[in-house]
Amino acid sequence: MQEVLPASLAEASRRARISLAVMVGSVLLIGLVVPWLANAYWIKTLTSSLALSIAAAGVALLYGQLGLVSLCQYALLGAGGWIALRAGHGLGWPFELSVLAGGLLSCVVGMLAGLPALRLKGLYLALVTMMMAGGFQVVINVTGFPDGGAGWLGRVFGSERLMMPRPALALSDAAYFRYVAVWLAVVLVLIELHRRTRAGRSWALIRRGEAAAVAAGVNILRYQTWAFGLAGFCAGVAGALLAGGVGQLDGRAFTAGDSVMLFALTVVGGVYHWAGALIAGLLLRAVPALLTDFGVNGYLAMIFFGLALLHALITAPSGIAGQLAGLIESVRKRLPGAGKDAAS
Amino acid sequence: MIRISDLTVAFGGVKAIDALTAELDAPVCGLIGPNGAGKTTLVNVLSGLVLPRSGTVAVDGADLLGLKPIERVRFGLRRSFQTEQVVEDLSVWDNVRALLDHVPHARGDVAAQVARALARTGLLDAATVLGHQLNLFQRRMLEIAKSLVGGPKLLLLDEPGAGLTEQEAGALRRVIGSVHAFCGAQVLLIDHDVDLIAATCTQTLVLDFGRRLALGPTREVLDDPAVRKAYLGTE
Amino acid sequence: MEDYLPFVISGLGLGAVYALSGVGLVVLYRSSGVLNFAFGAIGAIGAYVAWSMLEADWPQGLAWCAAIVTSMLLSLAYGRLLAPRLSHRDPTIRSIATLGFALVVVGFTEWYWGEQPRRLVLPTDAGAIDFVLGEVDVRLTHTRALGLALAVLMMGGVGLLLSKTRVGLKMRALANDRDLSALLGIRVLGVDTVAWVLSGAFAGVCGLLLANIVRLQATLLTFLVIPAFAAAIIGRLHSLPATVAGGIAIGVLEALAITVPGFAAFRTATPFLIALAMIVFYRTGTRQA
Repeated sequence: MQEVLPASLAEASRRARISLAVMVGSVLLIGLVVPWLANAYWIKTLTSSLALSIAAAGVALLYGQLGLVSLCQYALLGAGGWIALRAGHGLGWPFELSVLAGGLLSCVVGMLAGLPALRLKGLYLALVTMMMAGGFQVVINVTGFPDGGAGWLGRVFGSERLMMPRPALALSDAAYFRYVAVWLAVVLVLIELHRRTRAGRSWALIRRGEAAAVAAGVNILRYQTWAFGLAGFCAGVAGALLAGGVGQLDGRAFTAGDSVMLFALTVVGGVYHWAGALIAGLLLRAVPALLTDFGVNGYLAMIFFGLALLHALITAPSGIAGQLAGLIESVRKRLPGAGKDAAS
Repeated sequence: MIRISDLTVAFGGVKAIDALTAELDAPVCGLIGPNGAGKTTLVNVLSGLVLPRSGTVAVDGADLLGLKPIERVRFGLRRSFQTEQVVEDLSVWDNVRALLDHVPHARGDVAAQVARALARTGLLDAATVLGHQLNLFQRRMLEIAKSLVGGPKLLLLDEPGAGLTEQEAGALRRVIGSVHAFCGAQVLLIDHDVDLIAATCTQTLVLDFGRRLALGPTREVLDDPAVRKAYLGTE
Repeated sequence: MEDYLPFVISGLGLGAVYALSGVGLVVLYRSSGVLNFAFGAIGAIGAYVAWSMLEADWPQGLAWCAAIVTSMLLSLAYGRLLAPRLSHRDPTIRSIATLGFALVVVGFTEWYWGEQPRRLVLPTDAGAIDFVLGEVDVRLTHTRALGLALAVLMMGGVGLLLSKTRVGLKMRALANDRDLSALLGIRVLGVDTVAWVLSGAFAGVCGLLLANIVRLQATLLTFLVIPAFAAAIIGRLHSLPATVAGGIAIGVLEALAITVPGFAAFRTATPFLIALAMIVFYRTGTRQA
């Protein structure tokens, strides 16, 4: 006997498809329009912003879906960037392959970082990832990033450092910005598809509690590890794209503090909504650049970000994106015709 | 059919369950006893959250204790908790759908199974409502709906009626009574509401201090003077 | 063996500070359930305050006091004003919030004093104790000697406080079960205050010592607290003696790492490697934080 499905289900499906389209459309629109509006300096800054948004999306996934605090995402980004640079310079791989290689390495390292997480949740995970970020900081400071040389480390000494070769169809800064926007859209869709299917439901059950998850047959280790892998993949891709955008990466600029800042601003941006990752990227790169333009000391931004994190944790757990989404929703409800929806 | 043989569960020196042997073959079995009698402990052993010190449990002939907790869910074990475990930010539909993610089921059959389970528990119209918007009655019914999908063999319901009004308890009674006809699963029902037990369970096991106090047809068990003394109170 | 002695002595100096920081972190964590990621930042700003006073020719004792008082006040401010607003949230969030506080403090410090690295030269640096161990000449500046003495005194003091005083008893009760302690009539906020202030004092002392041993720069000093977390991890966020032993071991091993060929450049990663190793080692029996 077939049950008649309520109309609200079809309506919810339709809305879900629309929101996915809005997400992709918005990102691609940004990619299209910004190079027309921004000057050369800002195009480069916003390219870095978008790349960091990809990394932030990974952090948001772990924290928003599973409540796990990862304080090593910037280190994973650096690792991905390292692989991409080495592959790009030394092996002459096509750009996309270098990006995927970076994503894959950081995915694997992310999963390894996640394995102890099963027993050591919460605070210990934050500490473990912070230790890893600290360790990476020391190592990369010494080894630096590949820049055209030979050998394991790929460094050149004495002659000029090489820039990472860009993909053939994205050589100019404007074209590369669009290229990164496409990557961002792809990654966001990947995460969103996870959220809406079995993985997302399993993560939601794990979030509810171990008892609920086990009672539903969820293999907690598998799904938690997979989330770490996905977050790591985001970091690696971001690192490769950052390397392609800036051309070179500096081994002195991957501190544990950067990972902490990335986490903090992802929470501020909002971990439950894709726009939060976008906001986080802007806060990390665009806002400091803006402040410099206005002659404001960058450290004042740090004070502001610290306050924003405290505010987000104490009063607004869904971050800026969540509050904006709530605002849009309440406006939408007041519009005529909104009452027709059976469930919202 | 549940066959428990010489089951002992100990926490330190305390025996929560003491050499319990019982055969439960009614479609709906009750499990009653005073607080601390070991009812929830028994359900925890069945679902795998607690390891027994000794003894065996067989469900429909299969050795239950040899399976890992997740494997038991695949096998067909379902349980609800005293504090309901509804996922707040998933819809009613997705809460039930999530069960099918991890148990064998026919492709293409998903929507039909979920819809049937929701219709049976009166939640079909609320399919898109999010968990956190549900009231207590809806949550309790959702817990049961989750147990009805994916070819269940045994439902362990731990005080599913706690906090419900008379009317709601009546609806719950009807749903529990229809489970066996709906999906062929056996139900083991823990509750303090004796009326609920009497109305739905044909067989009842009474525990006291982890030991079997009585097992048999519900009416006989409830009339048993030893049971009355331990649990129901003498006049 | 004697070749390694200078490194061991040098490592003891830094190790004592790691141990002291670790104790400050664990004492607070045990009482309030919060792991204070702003510990290093609070200490750093104290060191800057001392620097400013010394630059203005104030006496050293006053400068030290001002530094420690600054750290205690900041710690108290967080503990009484911000921490209670998160007291109902889960432990991870309560600790992560201190990251926000750290950003505020570091941001302010770098903005107000400027980010150029400085040396915190203390008048006690001038004098030194020379002695001979085996066949090796060892020199301990007065500052380092003072630091070591302070470390021993403070760690011993805290141990006594926790085990022998009423306040210490209450702190241990809180650490055991906060809600139950409240039900028993222990004034939770009052005891909390003690824990935060005490932890702030530790942060102040550590900030001064680290600024002297390494250099005075806010972001660096905040980063240097991460080995203190490594020490706390070795103590499983619970045992003070283990934390102390861990901190000293980390300091000594980090110093000895200079002698290992090929590893010398990476030696500042030693605390992290040890912490990661301990976490893996503790996996089976670790308390869930």
